[in-house]
Amino acid sequence: MTPIVVPWSWIVLGLGGVAGTVLITLGALGLRRRKRHGIESVPAADAEALGALPELDLSETASSVFHRWDPRFKIASLIIFSFVVVSLHFWPPLLLCLGLAAGASAAARTPLRRASRRLGAMSGFLLMLLIVMPVTVPFHEGDRLLLIDGLPILTLNLRGLELAARIATKAVVVALIMEPLLSTCPFSVTLAAVHRLGVPLVLCQMLLLMYRYVFVFRHEVQRMWVGMTVRGFRSRSGWETMASLGSFLGMLFVRSMERTQRVHEAMLCRGYTGAFPTTVRFDAAPRDWAWAAFWITAAGVAFILDRWGSVFRALSPIS
Amino acid sequence: MHWQAAPVPPKTFPESLVFDLEDVSYTYPGGSEALRGVSMSVAHGEKIALVGQNGSGKTTLAKILCGLISPTRGRIIFDGRPVVREELRHLRRQVGILFQDPDDHLFCQRLLDDVLFGPLNYGVPMDRALETADRMLELVGLKDQALKAPHHLSYGQRKRAALAAILACDPSVLILDEPTANLDAKNTEKLLEVLSGFSGTLLCISHDLLFLYELCRRAVVLQRGALHHDTDFDALIAHRPSLREHGLDFTFRFRCCMDSPAQDTPENPAAAHGHPASLRSTPEGCGASRTPLMELEDYSFRYADGTWGLRRLSFHVHEGERIALLGENGAGKSTLASVLVGIRSGFGTYRFRGEVVRGRLRKDLWRHVGIVFQDSMDQVVSSNVFDEVAFGLKHLGMKGADLRRRVHEALARVGLEGMENRVPHHLSGGEKKRLSLAAVLAMDPQVLILDEPTANLDPENEERLLKILDELRTTLILISHDLCFVSALTDRALVLHQGCLVEDVPTGQFLMDERLQSRYGVDVTYHHRCCRHVLAMQAQWP
Amino acid sequence: MHLSDGVLPTAVAVGSFAVTGLCLALSVKKTNGDDLPKIAVMTSAFFVASLVHVPLGPTSVHLLLPGVVGILTGWSAFVSIFMGLVLQSLLFQFGGLTALGANGLMMGLPAWCAAGIFHYVRGRSAAMEVAGAACASAAAVALASLILAGLLATGGEDFFGVAKIAVIAHLPVVVIEAVIAAFVVSFLRRVKPELLDAPMGWRSV
Repeated sequence: MTPIVVPWSWIVLGLGGVAGTVLITLGALGLRRRKRHGIESVPAADAEALGALPELDLSETASSVFHRWDPRFKIASLIIFSFVVVSLHFWPPLLLCLGLAAGASAAARTPLRRASRRLGAMSGFLLMLLIVMPVTVPFHEGDRLLLIDGLPILTLNLRGLELAARIATKAVVVALIMEPLLSTCPFSVTLAAVHRLGVPLVLCQMLLLMYRYVFVFRHEVQRMWVGMTVRGFRSRSGWETMASLGSFLGMLFVRSMERTQRVHEAMLCRGYTGAFPTTVRFDAAPRDWAWAAFWITAAGVAFILDRWGSVFRALSPIS
Repeated sequence: MHWQAAPVPPKTFPESLVFDLEDVSYTYPGGSEALRGVSMSVAHGEKIALVGQNGSGKTTLAKILCGLISPTRGRIIFDGRPVVREELRHLRRQVGILFQDPDDHLFCQRLLDDVLFGPLNYGVPMDRALETADRMLELVGLKDQALKAPHHLSYGQRKRAALAAILACDPSVLILDEPTANLDAKNTEKLLEVLSGFSGTLLCISHDLLFLYELCRRAVVLQRGALHHDTDFDALIAHRPSLREHGLDFTFRFRCCMDSPAQDTPENPAAAHGHPASLRSTPEGCGASRTPLMELEDYSFRYADGTWGLRRLSFHVHEGERIALLGENGAGKSTLASVLVGIRSGFGTYRFRGEVVRGRLRKDLWRHVGIVFQDSMDQVVSSNVFDEVAFGLKHLGMKGADLRRRVHEALARVGLEGMENRVPHHLSGGEKKRLSLAAVLAMDPQVLILDEPTANLDPENEERLLKILDELRTTLILISHDLCFVSALTDRALVLHQGCLVEDVPTGQFLMDERLQSRYGVDVTYHHRCCRHVLAMQAQWP
Repeated sequence: MHLSDGVLPTAVAVGSFAVTGLCLALSVKKTNGDDLPKIAVMTSAFFVASLVHVPLGPTSVHLLLPGVVGILTGWSAFVSIFMGLVLQSLLFQFGGLTALGANGLMMGLPAWCAAGIFHYVRGRSAAMEVAGAACASAAAVALASLILAGLLATGGEDFFGVAKIAVIAHLPVVVIEAVIAAFVVSFLRRVKPELLDAPMGWRSV
């Protein structure tokens, strides 16, 4: 197949256009935010420099199919669904799953902010793939190439771009599933359900304890960070910063070790013998089975389309 | 059930012993000896104050009593049976301990789960456990917070929640480690109310002798790991020489009580001016004509989660002023402090020396405004004392001999000279506090902000700190629940309530106005009452 | 760098879950049963520490800390690292749900490797210990990047380029992690040396 030749000026214009759109969108969002606050200066909360910790808990008011679904069934079905999604090879079933995941996200009343935070967290890795893969994927018979006029070194392989896009789509589908999966019941209930599904109890309890103390340590770290900031510490590249950070982490570990000891003692004093008492009860209703059947059927359909749907194979960009 | 609605006399067999310790010693694996030959016995229902200086072995003794560590030597008899390894579970079942930091006790996702943890572990059926948990949460006033995660609660609420979780295990012995540290007056009062209804045996470790005064009848004094006194509590506090010997002499606090309206001369305005602060020359009269050092105008701050931390504050601070920032836990005092040092910024105008604080000036504000945190460990980041004090100075660009001179000066100022090579983490609580103060003083700030400087200090260290602070010549902003410090150090009081500035009055006037105090949760009447009793008792001694 | 969903062939993803499961079992077996809650609380501290960003030229990198975790927790490092990654994936979506097994291997095995190296130098002179910590940490990150490259390469020759770039991108991180680990260990040597004996990790005999 003949390569597509593009003048380099197109590329510059294209990239410039994309960058411009992004900037304008960000600017508009910022303006809207300012307007909503009704105040000119946006507060820069330097004290929160370490980034916020999101929480995995249900908001008390929301209710949806996912909130009412028995967590055991919800987790099992959605995890099976995720594994099927990542093993898809072709676009049509993948897009079907994307639609389903987006629908689930909407049905679970996922706040836009939370969904976009998850997508944003992956964006670095996926962007890297999207940039690197078109350049590095080896040429095969039948690949479409994108040559840039005047820049002979830069040959883009569209098959690489397609591959990276497919990976990105899979990642997006699973990320969209995460909010309905995790934020529709308290984290302790989720973990109790995970235990019922066969994961050892110790691991679930470790995760619960971690989820609690991450917040405690984050406050501690924040106070220590502020303590350094008010004495002139600024995080820069260089030896000084590394030395300060090393001591800072050392101090954090010393303090957390001491806390670890005290927490353990507090647990022993309240009769801990190796297992947390469970307060969670599950009750399966026919509706739970029905929903599980729906998701697994959907995953199965996607999988069958992917592996044996020769009709769709003809439609896909690579054959 | 050991919970009763009202205080009751000790249980039926006053002569029957809960604990009988014979020659108990404990040496830490590192080789440091924490307890040496302690022998004592504790009867059912006794209320004991366990006191002594920082590092005298109180916490070690508490841990031995609740079966967390076994003594290296000696014998413990609990409920008539010697404590051996197999019996530890029985011992722990009966003895509850409340550590200083409530976060150590709250390891579940919801308050209710934490309170249920003990009863369910001990095999109480679910419905009865729920009933107990409900009652306990009601008792500490947290019933409507039962389903919240601990990190969404205030410090005072978490402290009460931890107590509820321990009481739910129905212990017959309760051990408390510094229960009042960092608590405001309202929470302390609530704690006292709950504890005075507890009918079991009570052991309370605290430096706050005034808190212990209404609670405890017997005092056990430890010194360097040995049992030094075991007497009637009233006798101990009435005897100043022995208090002084153990660093427990809190009588310096009475100076402020004497000035307060709780004393017998409420109408005498001179009383308000009798405290040491007014003896200092303060530039009050000339302040108005000069540019104020700090100036907030219509200033608000909103947290990321949308709650308002500060609401429309406006006030001035002039050079050389000494200001107290008062209010309940969560009134916005610490938030205001972080605004003043430039860590946070909100809406409104903040001027420092007439210049609006933003951009570059906000980033550089640390050069002019110093802050000492409540928990000195939050400020300690170095592995030796010298580096700790030099940390800020290095960022100010100081080097070589100049740096060394400033560090030595600062250490001498707080009485830590010669400790340059010690590890900050190994210092005692009082030394750590003075170290974090030295680290800030070394930078010679124009304004010094102190956040709860007296938290966790024993009276001797408190008195020492008071002396150091009183000698300072900088502008001072003191955040404290400790009205003794407030009255001794400050001339002007700003009272915050739910993020708003509700009062801006001279400290003397504030202290005279009990109505004001109780309205904003900085009530001191309980302390005043105790002070008067103690003074009366001490007067009987020569 | 954590793998997201959909990068690895499903067989590799599932297979690495199996291997991770075995390693977890070994790690838990080598830890005193009583110590697992302690490991959990310590892991929260590691988790929070990894949120700290270290500036690197115009950008910044967040700490991975496989070396430090290995040094401080010994055999328990694998379970600690794995639980940290699980929480990271659930909270932030760093690392995909289906790639957890692979990510666990990628960070957990290097942590063990660092634990082994540091155990070897522990008890020698101060300089040796600090240098040993730096080497252990550097080796851990380097090994992690190699495992990452290996896992990527299972996707076929299309992924070789990405794998190479991933290894190169880890080079500055190797240096940073080595320096940080050296400072952490020299701090702990002075302040709380017993932490360096992996008090919870190596099963006490």
